[in-house]
Amino acid sequence: MKTRSRWASMAKHVPLILLAIFATGPIAILVTNSLKTRTELGLEPVGLPENPQFSNYVEAWVVSDFALHAGNSAILVFSTVICVLVLAGLAAYSLARLAPPGSGAVLFYLLLVTAFPIWLYLVPLFFTWRNLGLINTSFGLVVIYTAINSPLAIFLLRSYLVRIPKEIEEAAFVDGASKMQVLLRIILPISWTGFLTVGLVVAVAVWGEFQIAFVMLQDEDKLPITTSFYRFAESFGQDWSKTSAVAVLAILPIIILFVVFQRRFTEGLTQGSVK
Amino acid sequence: MKNKTAQALALTVVAAVALGGCAATSEPGASGEQTVSIWLDDNTENPCFAETIKDTFAAEGVTLDIELKTDWDSLTKTAVAGGGGPDVIMTPGITYTLEYAKAGVLEPLDAYATEYGWDSTIASWALSAGKYEDTLYSLQSELETMILWYNKSVFDRLGLTPPTTTAEFDAVADALDKAGVTPFASGNAEWKGVNEWFISGLFNGHAGADAVYSALAGDGSFTDPGFVEATDLITKWQQQGYLAGGLDRYYTTTFDEFLSGFGAGDYGMNMEGSWRFSNIDTFFSAAGNEWDWVPFPTKDGRELYSIGTGSSWGINASSKNKDAAAEVLNHIFTPEIQAQLAVDCGFAPGPVTLDASMLEGLDPRQARLYESVATAAAKGDYGYLTWAFFGPETDQYIYEEIEKLWGGSITTAQYLEGLQELNDKERLAGDNPPLPER
Amino acid sequence: MTTSIIHGPPDLVGDESAPVPPRRQRGRFRGRARAGITAWLFLLPVLAVHLFTVAVPAVTGVYYSFTDWSGIGDAEWVGLENYQRLLQDGDYLLALGNNVKWLLFFWTVPFFLAILASFLLSQVRRGQTFYRLVYFVPYVLPSVVVASLWKFMLNPDKGVPSFLSALGIQGFDKALLGQESTALWTIAFIDNWHYWGFLATLLLVAMQSVPTELYEAARLDGANLWHQLMNVTIPAIRPTLIFMFMMTGIWSFLVFDYVWVLTQGGPAGSSEVLGTLVYKTAFTQFDAGYAAAQGVSMAIFASFLLAFFLLMRRRGWEI
Repeated sequence: MKTRSRWASMAKHVPLILLAIFATGPIAILVTNSLKTRTELGLEPVGLPENPQFSNYVEAWVVSDFALHAGNSAILVFSTVICVLVLAGLAAYSLARLAPPGSGAVLFYLLLVTAFPIWLYLVPLFFTWRNLGLINTSFGLVVIYTAINSPLAIFLLRSYLVRIPKEIEEAAFVDGASKMQVLLRIILPISWTGFLTVGLVVAVAVWGEFQIAFVMLQDEDKLPITTSFYRFAESFGQDWSKTSAVAVLAILPIIILFVVFQRRFTEGLTQGSVK
Repeated sequence: MKNKTAQALALTVVAAVALGGCAATSEPGASGEQTVSIWLDDNTENPCFAETIKDTFAAEGVTLDIELKTDWDSLTKTAVAGGGGPDVIMTPGITYTLEYAKAGVLEPLDAYATEYGWDSTIASWALSAGKYEDTLYSLQSELETMILWYNKSVFDRLGLTPPTTTAEFDAVADALDKAGVTPFASGNAEWKGVNEWFISGLFNGHAGADAVYSALAGDGSFTDPGFVEATDLITKWQQQGYLAGGLDRYYTTTFDEFLSGFGAGDYGMNMEGSWRFSNIDTFFSAAGNEWDWVPFPTKDGRELYSIGTGSSWGINASSKNKDAAAEVLNHIFTPEIQAQLAVDCGFAPGPVTLDASMLEGLDPRQARLYESVATAAAKGDYGYLTWAFFGPETDQYIYEEIEKLWGGSITTAQYLEGLQELNDKERLAGDNPPLPER
Repeated sequence: MTTSIIHGPPDLVGDESAPVPPRRQRGRFRGRARAGITAWLFLLPVLAVHLFTVAVPAVTGVYYSFTDWSGIGDAEWVGLENYQRLLQDGDYLLALGNNVKWLLFFWTVPFFLAILASFLLSQVRRGQTFYRLVYFVPYVLPSVVVASLWKFMLNPDKGVPSFLSALGIQGFDKALLGQESTALWTIAFIDNWHYWGFLATLLLVAMQSVPTELYEAARLDGANLWHQLMNVTIPAIRPTLIFMFMMTGIWSFLVFDYVWVLTQGGPAGSSEVLGTLVYKTAFTQFDAGYAAAQGVSMAIFASFLLAFFLLMRRRGWEI
């Protein structure tokens, strides 16, 4: 009996492991490619490098002006995440627990706008931004990112907030607390993992965003890492070993961010489910 | 209580957003000194262009600001649409500036033409090409033509001579294939427009420049037999895998890939334009092979050059420094500067009056081309590159629909009928670029 | 608190009954009004930003869809002409068909993988953190990086296919992105590689609020893993599942990045989707009015999906 359930539980891991290989295999190839010389890559596309060429990374860093562009991306991510969490958090709390009149319409509107393709409003938006002097500014871009990431953030946050039992707030209201205080002092501590998840989702979306940044930012030194990678791939496309080094550099920050928060995130979630 | 926290919240948001905005800079304002801005494509040749122009341009109180941007053409368009954009506008071709002219965002250049005497330095056919409703709006540069490049080392090894007629063309392709060499270096992974290179070359070469002219003008038709044969030829080659070794490879091969292969001798010929002079050497010297070119084969073997221009220049109607911009434009189009761009940076010179002495230092094979083309153009005997003389919708149809023909979902007849229809439509609506008298 | 969970988790969308206002305010109009105002004050910032940045320009975009406009200069009103043109435009219908294929792919493949992975993960004791991390990582990568990586990997002469061909496996000697029959599916495969882990993570979070008592009860009744999945897990996570079906559906009408970077809609339009078509129409064809009409139609299709799901909502979850 014991061996059987042992096998059974091991069997569950087989698909999981296969999927893990599927998910990480290409990334592993990306990393190994980045450490090969160009000729070695041509001969041996799959497999470990013979002499890891760490110089590829140095060159990639310098040529792609990585520090500058990653810094630009970081500013965009940080600003957008804060704005979204604040704005969407307020709205989600309201929709989940304060029953604003007409909330059905608001929810419908928010859902509806997720169906809008960017091409529907990019050109008129560009006109407006131009008139406001917001073209080629990080501020202008952050406003756009905040707007487009908010609807999904509101839905996700709302789904977390709506599960919290009413009794928790009621006690505080009876004690005379204002809505804001309840939000900040009671709701937030309980649901912070939800906020964290949403923050992470928004961070990923902004870090990887390409199209809008490309249209709205025109100065080379304002470009985020995605557009800079795109340009690099265009001009150095033949040299996949260097291009993959830039690619690894481009994805490293977001992976680190994710790994760091992933632990807290899981802990928070397990605690949350016991409650 | 509520107000205070709301205020605090508002402050937090403002702070966060201000943080985001801390990297923002205000737009450059005008300040005494006149700045003329130009936006160019971020490719490998333009840095040389920028440097040459900056080094040679000197005018009181005018600073040049040349910026290289990826996707510069769509960036320019969106900027101009928003009432901004660079002072000097450079577009990928006449059809683009035509569109701008129609929308009224380009400054008329007739006054400047007289001031700087452009009719004596710029070829008249090129000047007329830049007109819309009889007003001059743009100047054309980078004279280009379709030619047939070939790997001389491979040809010598196999004992082949470059073809002059379309019949020989087909035969040489077959011979290369038999010898295990893929006949044509090609690939449109990076640029769909590659598709129309072959059409340009074969329509003019095989059906004839006269036929193309009369079809464009509305007298002849694109459904005539000459065009049918030309289209069938390229379709046959594609389906036989003569280009890049297979249709699927053709769709996924990049410029670098097929040019390296061409240099290495994996391919025998390359149907491309004269712009390739700028970097053909790098690919061949790396492999130790030799290249050369012959005029694009024609039905009867006569020498014919289908011409067009590669880039089109105008002045932004909303520019605050139009006169300064005109000075810069004039400088760029001075014959000596065009020649210098050709010799130093590998750019094809514009249709300006050059003499041989200006082109010293140029590869003799390249100089040979420019002389031949200039002679042909002066005689009025040239072919019409599709992207320079066809209307924008027709042009796009040519290179997009052809893939359906190659894939077998439409027939040659359907393809050409569609072409004819669109050409009629655009010709009657006045959307075609100007067609100089033949 | 388990009460709400046993009766089905609250849904993410739609109107459920509002929480009862605290006793001391009940029945007092002024109190309720003030509560309503506060609630709206909380909504205002995000709505203001969104309306200004998206809604207003979108309405302008809709206006342009009724005009003949090249993108610069004047726009001439033409009424429904652009929309009539859509119905007869072969290229448009082809792209629409591709979006439908894309939709069907993304409603099946990633969901299959995500449910499989998240269910198994919810059942294993060890390695959860590791697997979750690993599955989510592809989602984190920017589209341009993922596309370049797979483009390289799928090179028939140098990449994975050549490796497979050397092993004697058939069908990989052609460039998958260069064949009309395989281009769209290859791009979908690549986007799926990027997407399924995200889906799995969301489903896993939903599954983790399913109380273990339910599973134990099922096991006592003799249910094997499959039965547990179908009778316990899926019903419990149904709201999240349905929500993600809807979002995936809506997003599939908006797809652009991967197609553009990998094939630009080629060859011969076999991988053209509405997103790439709109871009080309607006930016290379100078037909911004028509492009706006295409854009509006994309929004309409996505909204149909939305409407369908909301309608289902109204009928309750039993359908």
